[in-house]
Amino acid sequence: MIPLYARRRLTNRIIIGLSIAATGFGLLWLVMVLGTLLINGASAIGPALFAQMTPPPGSSGGLLNAIAGSVVMTGIATLIGTPTGILAGTFLAEYARGSQFGELVRFINDILLSAPSIIIGLFVYEAMVVRMGHFSAWAGAVALAIIMVPVIVRTTEDMLRLVPSALREAAAALGAPKWKVVVMVTYRAALQGMVTGVLLAIARISGETAPLLFTALNNQFWSTDLNRPMANLPVVIFQFAMSPYADWQVLAWGGALLITVSILVLNITARILAAWSSFKS
Amino acid sequence: MNSPTARPLATEPDSPDRASDDTAPPRQPRRPLAAPPIAALVQRKPGDEAPKTAMPDVKADVRHVNFFYGKFQALHDISVPLYDRRVTAFIGPSGCGKSTLLRILNRIYELYPGQTATGEVILDGENILMPGLDLNRLRAKIGMVFQKPTPFPMAIYDNIAFGIRLYEKVSKSELDDRVESALRRAALWDEVKDKLRDSGLSLSGGQQQRLCIARAIAIEPEVLLLDEPASALDPISTQRIEELIAELKADYCIAMVTHNMQQAARSSDYTAFLYLGELVEFDETETIFTHPRVRRTEDYITGRFG
Amino acid sequence: MPAEHIIKSYDEELARLNKMVVEMGGLAESQLAAAIDAVVRRDSALAARVVEGDAAVDQIERDLDNLAIRLFALRQPMARDLREIFVALKIASDLERICDYAANVAKRSIALSQAPPVQLVHALPRMAQFALLLVKDVIDAYVEHDADKALEVWKRDEELDEMYSSLFREFLTYMMEDPRNIGTCTHLLFMAKNIERIGDHATNIAENLYYLVHGTPLTQARPKGDKSSLEVVAPDRAQSR
Repeated sequence: MIPLYARRRLTNRIIIGLSIAATGFGLLWLVMVLGTLLINGASAIGPALFAQMTPPPGSSGGLLNAIAGSVVMTGIATLIGTPTGILAGTFLAEYARGSQFGELVRFINDILLSAPSIIIGLFVYEAMVVRMGHFSAWAGAVALAIIMVPVIVRTTEDMLRLVPSALREAAAALGAPKWKVVVMVTYRAALQGMVTGVLLAIARISGETAPLLFTALNNQFWSTDLNRPMANLPVVIFQFAMSPYADWQVLAWGGALLITVSILVLNITARILAAWSSFKS
Repeated sequence: MNSPTARPLATEPDSPDRASDDTAPPRQPRRPLAAPPIAALVQRKPGDEAPKTAMPDVKADVRHVNFFYGKFQALHDISVPLYDRRVTAFIGPSGCGKSTLLRILNRIYELYPGQTATGEVILDGENILMPGLDLNRLRAKIGMVFQKPTPFPMAIYDNIAFGIRLYEKVSKSELDDRVESALRRAALWDEVKDKLRDSGLSLSGGQQQRLCIARAIAIEPEVLLLDEPASALDPISTQRIEELIAELKADYCIAMVTHNMQQAARSSDYTAFLYLGELVEFDETETIFTHPRVRRTEDYITGRFG
Repeated sequence: MPAEHIIKSYDEELARLNKMVVEMGGLAESQLAAAIDAVVRRDSALAARVVEGDAAVDQIERDLDNLAIRLFALRQPMARDLREIFVALKIASDLERICDYAANVAKRSIALSQAPPVQLVHALPRMAQFALLLVKDVIDAYVEHDADKALEVWKRDEELDEMYSSLFREFLTYMMEDPRNIGTCTHLLFMAKNIERIGDHATNIAENLYYLVHGTPLTQARPKGDKSSLEVVAPDRAQSR
């Protein structure tokens, strides 16, 4: 009895020890990354960052045009991607259950979900940039939307599937037609989860660099023309960080910190929403 | 076991010999009757007048119904009448098909692909299994309450109003009245009247189930299907539901699936015992629980299975 | 017994209930047999033992009542089990009455044995033996849960009733012939009546047993042999004999 118990206790301790070590190892890098980012980026944060355009090398400036560009393109991508994703997710969860076509769509969506974003950038480059003859904010937004859609499809489908079928049956048993069941009952039950999914998708695209390199490219100046190239944080960071100029590098750190903080805020919001929804039910 | 019912299905609830009990003088005045027919005792409650002895109408008549989950046949040639203003309980071990039978009555099974029913269910002279029937209209006529309470994620008021708004255009004040009367009938009004705007999810399990019953009766259905309505509730809430069933019986034809045999005995007028997808016995509840005619029924209800 | 319950202790309790009924039945038989013996042998000591023995029967009945109540409350019996327990209760109360009557016969036999022996006492034991047989058979039927056997007993009670009717007439005649017989004959009449009642309880048991087995009460009218309640003997008619 006792040796067996002792052995189990020992095994337990070893496993716990290994787990803690692994966690520590992972966290260590995270802390180092975030620490470096904070130390280097904090110095760049100031009013000028949000008030001035990206400067030429050697002069001072900010990231206003890049921030605005990112917000615009992310916003347009969200406007395109959210309804598409939610509708497709609804189709998979509510209408295509058990159908072969649904299985196919889900499979393709999963591939898209894990597709490297550079491929998507290349695709939009071929499909839009080459045909239009120039880089544009539209192309950037579309590329971001394409990345967003599979994420939203997936989360929407998952969230709708979590809604107990008894709830759907209860609504159908009252004589509600299917679309009313979905809109008035299932969506309501899954609302918070779906919103969380959208927020996470926004977080996902707000740091994407590769697709924007091929589509929106960059613009050193303020531009609101969606048919022209548009500045955006990830590409600016990419360019400035690679440059030999110290000013640019500092701005790159600042932009990186900015993106990280916004993603953090989005994630926290999503978490709060999720916690709130599980608390309510 | 091709037609395992010991009695013809259209048995009169009051067989002639029992009816004569009421009028004929006792045969052996000196001796107490051996084992008084319990059914007769139960039926002759003071204050129970004519309606109890009058033969109830068949509200829904299930005729030779088979049911398939894909290729698997879950129900075999089921024929059973559901009487108006009576509670019919379906009992049987898990997987015997009793819930399936209930789900045929409002064709809710059609939400899922691959499930098919054959045979007839005659409701008010119309075969509801007929293809091309407006399912939503049918379901609006047949209320259903599920095992787990299923309040919609909306206000208590909107839970009730949801079904009413589907098929009726009613004014705000009329809607208010309908919501109140449904909640009153479900014995929930006093508990929720001050918080109609709260989420239906904020109620306790028993209250949620009564909310679901209120929601089902708010659309004024003709048949109520209860699929183990109290199995997730504590004994007090269960008794409230049973009391509610007893009250609702005055207006509806009620079909109830239950795993709890005591509950079937307490709340139903007729009981059907299903086993492996076949109807083994259908009779008055008193008969089923005092002297069932089929051995399998007796073994099941006395806990001698297996 | 049909197939066993899933819950074994339920079977055990039902078996105990059965055993108690059978035990009471055995006591009823032996009490009645002893009472008859006491009458025939004018054995006051034996009669006294029968009277005392009644307490034991009452005790078993109380225990049985408790067990039945317990089963109703804790097991919530249904169908056959429900009938089993319900019928056990009823049979127990019939058996208890049978023992009461046996004790009463024994008590009266003490009074009879004080008086000088009379020839007509011998008419009684034949009837009593028959009643004893009915009791014995109905208890056997219960042990075997044999409704057909119970039905036999139920039909044979008619014979006992007829015996009682004829004894009744006989005793009446004796009393009218010689008023000195009245004391003895009244006792004998009561004893005969008690024995006739024992037969009735035996038929009750048979009816209950029938219900237990078939689930429906025995509804056919029982043949009745006892016409004594219709018998009126006018004194002048008796005198004229």
